[in-house]
Amino acid sequence: MKRIAALATGTYVALFPFLVVAQETFTETTKVMKFGAYRWALAIGAGIAIGLAALGGAIGQGKVAAAAMEGIARNPEAGKRVLTPMIIALALIESLVIYALVIAFLLQGQI
Amino acid sequence: MDRFSLIAWFVDLTGLPPSWGDQYEHVISALIVLIFILIISLLIWRKLRHTEDRLVPENRTTLANIAEVIVEALLRMLEDALGPTARRHLPLIAGLFLYLLISSLTGIVPGMSPPTESINTNLACAVVVFLYYNVIGIQTHGIRRYFKHMTGPVVWLAPLMLAIELISHIVRPVSLSIRLMGNILGDHVVLQIFEGIAPVIVPIVFMMLAIFVAFIQAFVFTLLSVIYIALAQAGDEVE
Repeated sequence: MKRIAALATGTYVALFPFLVVAQETFTETTKVMKFGAYRWALAIGAGIAIGLAALGGAIGQGKVAAAAMEGIARNPEAGKRVLTPMIIALALIESLVIYALVIAFLLQGQI
Repeated sequence: MDRFSLIAWFVDLTGLPPSWGDQYEHVISALIVLIFILIISLLIWRKLRHTEDRLVPENRTTLANIAEVIVEALLRMLEDALGPTARRHLPLIAGLFLYLLISSLTGIVPGMSPPTESINTNLACAVVVFLYYNVIGIQTHGIRRYFKHMTGPVVWLAPLMLAIELISHIVRPVSLSIRLMGNILGDHVVLQIFEGIAPVIVPIVFMMLAIFVAFIQAFVFTLLSVIYIALAQAGDEVE
């Protein structure tokens, strides 16, 4: 068991710098211009990325909202208890759309 | 995008190097938010210091009454998730919520850019939450049992479980910060674009949306932090 704990701590410490590296590349990539004549593809790609993400996110959030509404309609007293898990679910779905938004901003920055 | 910036104007006014207005915009606006929160909380603290006199609240809407309502609502949310240990985590969680909420709300002040629009502010908050819930988990379970939880119940699945658990832990602060940044940045860009299209009445709708998004996102950030703390504290039933 001691070895497992040591292994876990080691991996933990080893993976932690990735946070910093991820942030470095995040700011660096927006400054590079290397696409030349194909820059129009970046614009189309950014548009398609956020459009598809919004489509998927809207379907998912619609399902969550519909289920929550149905639950509240069946049992109005449960409204307050349904609200918090619903917001968590919506936020988790929304974060995927937001990742696509960030990617779209990154692509837009390279045009 | 060319736009008027209160921060750049402020930097010009105080005679600091002009490049600071661009580079450290979110740091300066975060400082402004901090000073604002400090002044407000000092005012409230001066009123609420003597608890004996405050047993009967005033029957007007005062700053102190609003503060009591906010803290009670936050405490209730914490108690739903954490049970009896809620009061211990109240300072961090309530502080995070108020800071992120007021930071995001600065986005609707013309000329200000919210500090939460930059990934740096959010990642700082998220890393604090990450370290905090790990420390809480190690305190409640001991370092051996806390890391033993990550290896799962079956011995031969342990390497796979360890990798999955580590990735899911490391993704937490990243996703917390990117979610907040994307939401606030996207909302602010939308507000900016519509102010360019029709500068008079139309932006009001989007300002209301911005207030709503700021509140929801601050709530989601703190709620997920609370859930991470609760997950780190619980986990007895696995063994």
